[in-house]
Amino acid sequence: MTSIGTGYDLSASQFSPDGRVFQIEYALKAVENSGTAIALRGKDGVVFAVEKLVTSKLYEKGSNKRIFTVDRHVGCAVAGLLADAKQMIETAAKEAANYRNEYGCPVPISYLKDQVALYVHAYTLYSAIRPYGASVLMGTYNKSEGSKLYCVEPSGTCYGYFGCAIGKAKQTAKTEMEKLKLSTLTCRELVKEAAKIIHIVHDEVKDKDFELELSWVCEESNGLHQAVPEALHDEAEAFARQAMEDDSDEGED
Amino acid sequence: MIADVDEPISTGTTLVAAHFKDGIVIAADSRTSSGSYVANRVADKLTKITDSIYCCRSGSAADTQCIADAVAYHLAFYEMQTGKPATVEAAANVFRNICYKYRDDMVAGIICAGYDDERGGGIYSIPPGGCLVEEKRVISAGSGSVFISGFLDALFKNNMSKEECVDLCLKAVSLAIHKDTSSGGVCRMAVITKDGVERKLFLNNELVQYEG
Amino acid sequence: MSLCPDLPRPGFSFDNCKRNAALESRGYKSKGFVKTGTTIVGVCYKDGVVLGADSRATGGNIVADKFCDKLHKMSNKIFCAGAGTASDCDKVTEMIRGQIALLELNSGRDVRVASVVRIIKQYLYRYQGHIGCALIIGGYDATGCHLHSIAPHGSSMELPYLTMGSGSLAATAVLESRWKPDLDLEATKKLVRDATAAGILNDLGSGSSVNMVVLTKKGNETFYPYDIVCAKGVRSGLYDFPSGTTKVLRTKVIPYEIEKVEVRGASEEDEPMDI
Repeated sequence: MTSIGTGYDLSASQFSPDGRVFQIEYALKAVENSGTAIALRGKDGVVFAVEKLVTSKLYEKGSNKRIFTVDRHVGCAVAGLLADAKQMIETAAKEAANYRNEYGCPVPISYLKDQVALYVHAYTLYSAIRPYGASVLMGTYNKSEGSKLYCVEPSGTCYGYFGCAIGKAKQTAKTEMEKLKLSTLTCRELVKEAAKIIHIVHDEVKDKDFELELSWVCEESNGLHQAVPEALHDEAEAFARQAMEDDSDEGED
Repeated sequence: MIADVDEPISTGTTLVAAHFKDGIVIAADSRTSSGSYVANRVADKLTKITDSIYCCRSGSAADTQCIADAVAYHLAFYEMQTGKPATVEAAANVFRNICYKYRDDMVAGIICAGYDDERGGGIYSIPPGGCLVEEKRVISAGSGSVFISGFLDALFKNNMSKEECVDLCLKAVSLAIHKDTSSGGVCRMAVITKDGVERKLFLNNELVQYEG
Repeated sequence: MSLCPDLPRPGFSFDNCKRNAALESRGYKSKGFVKTGTTIVGVCYKDGVVLGADSRATGGNIVADKFCDKLHKMSNKIFCAGAGTASDCDKVTEMIRGQIALLELNSGRDVRVASVVRIIKQYLYRYQGHIGCALIIGGYDATGCHLHSIAPHGSSMELPYLTMGSGSLAATAVLESRWKPDLDLEATKKLVRDATAAGILNDLGSGSSVNMVVLTKKGNETFYPYDIVCAKGVRSGLYDFPSGTTKVLRTKVIPYEIEKVEVRGASEEDEPMDI
């Protein structure tokens, strides 16, 4: 950050002379400090995978989850400050519940992501508050409209993706994703690919231990957002380990 | 001088809504009365809510017009926000929420019907009290419905053609117009399919005549 | 904590209705309204709309005004005929006219009949029929000529010919038998006159003369009155008595005793007042 200390980064409500809002860029930095989260959108659903870094052996297994169910049909994976992310998830969940109450049917994700983005954006406009230090991947699947995937960022922008990564190794993860023909793959295949990507981008040296979180919302789960079945989870994890080993073998050759 | 012109205007009505192969047909009589005075003999009780969703109104004219306006406004905004046409289910829920919230202060029986790409033709009934019932076949409402509900149940068939369905609805409304004092005038109809809305009008002398 | 203050709940409020019902159940009798029996009529013809009204205002069974104006101007090309409680009709049309004028100034366009109807019906609906105002609104706008009626409870309808008020039953009979699509102006004026006259002659609440306004794309043309149906009769004989008709039987004169008191004027020493 070249302009650090020039005094234009003290408030989210202030522009720098070259038209940037530093507080938002710092918030993006906060997202990049967290473990990687990815989402892949295949032909029959969306798969989420999270590299959940375990910073202490004292944590219970499965604590501090970073994949959330916002409504029966909408899943989210988050990266950044977990407390901030939880509030964004809460907003989305409330909005989804409210919609269901008012219209008696599941919220369209195109509407839901706009509402969350609007909420996040409001936090970039005032001097008394700071922007959210978290990004949220939001995905859904239904028979009539197929699969959808969006990413809401701290700035309040929200784009649709075929595959998206947030967190520490988002660049590497995106490079890996580009190798896949996402729109032709089924979720069963994507779960394995997602597990593999998370294993590939995990930095053994800096972060020792991590837990792999996997979830999907797809044809097979009946359009509901669920953790992938245990058997498939183990299979994917094994597939990822095998791929890593093959990779390192090739490296030795 | 009878004071009926001062009574609140209400639609003691006959409403019919039926599914057919490609969508739905809604039909209504055209009498609005104020006590025993006919305030309007050619009223249109089929009110447009969105491009492909209509509602049939019965009960207090003021209440139902106001509800229809409120829902049309709500859904126009909703369609702008979501960027796609509202589903009949969503529209029916908006009706239900208003009817239930003001159930003690309003007199309204509404049928919400239309077509959406997600689920095809849809018919939902919101009787006074504010509950919401989806109808998969045919439904009648209003004061005239007691005379024709059995008739409709007996003659309704699944996957009728448009002509068959229009014919059935016309017969039902004709029967009600002739038997129910609060129903009368002409028979108005709307056929709603994926291609849009087709309005029909059957004048009093074009109604089906039954002996007796 | 929220960023913006709580807004009041949206939607209708029936609080006052409940309050009124509660007051009434505890024995508070609300005052009755002064009603005007009325005949108002509106008819569309091919180039515009003609509105007609009688001109009797009643207070109980007394004629309060023989030449009252029940045709209210909303804008240059939109008029509104009112029946029901006289004060309500006057006040509502006056208030809405203000809104309409602002709307026209803000938008720089002639306001539409549909807009006037919307504003009025939403206002009346809010008061659940307690504002006793039955209106016929007619006029010419960008979409052609329109004729609507609004009942006190806030329901409205659009028809080619309409009548309201206590004389509407008599007027309807005339309209139903003689209205045809595409009447010309003279025939329409005659029809409106006859329908209103039927109300005037057959309804106790309606009387005196027929007022009329014709609304076309050129603007409005008013006839106050168009016709005096029930003219006040002319006295046919002389009913005053010649002097001396009453015979003087007896005369007694009682003199007044008058006491004279003189009051002295102000002394000359007093200074005149300065101003």
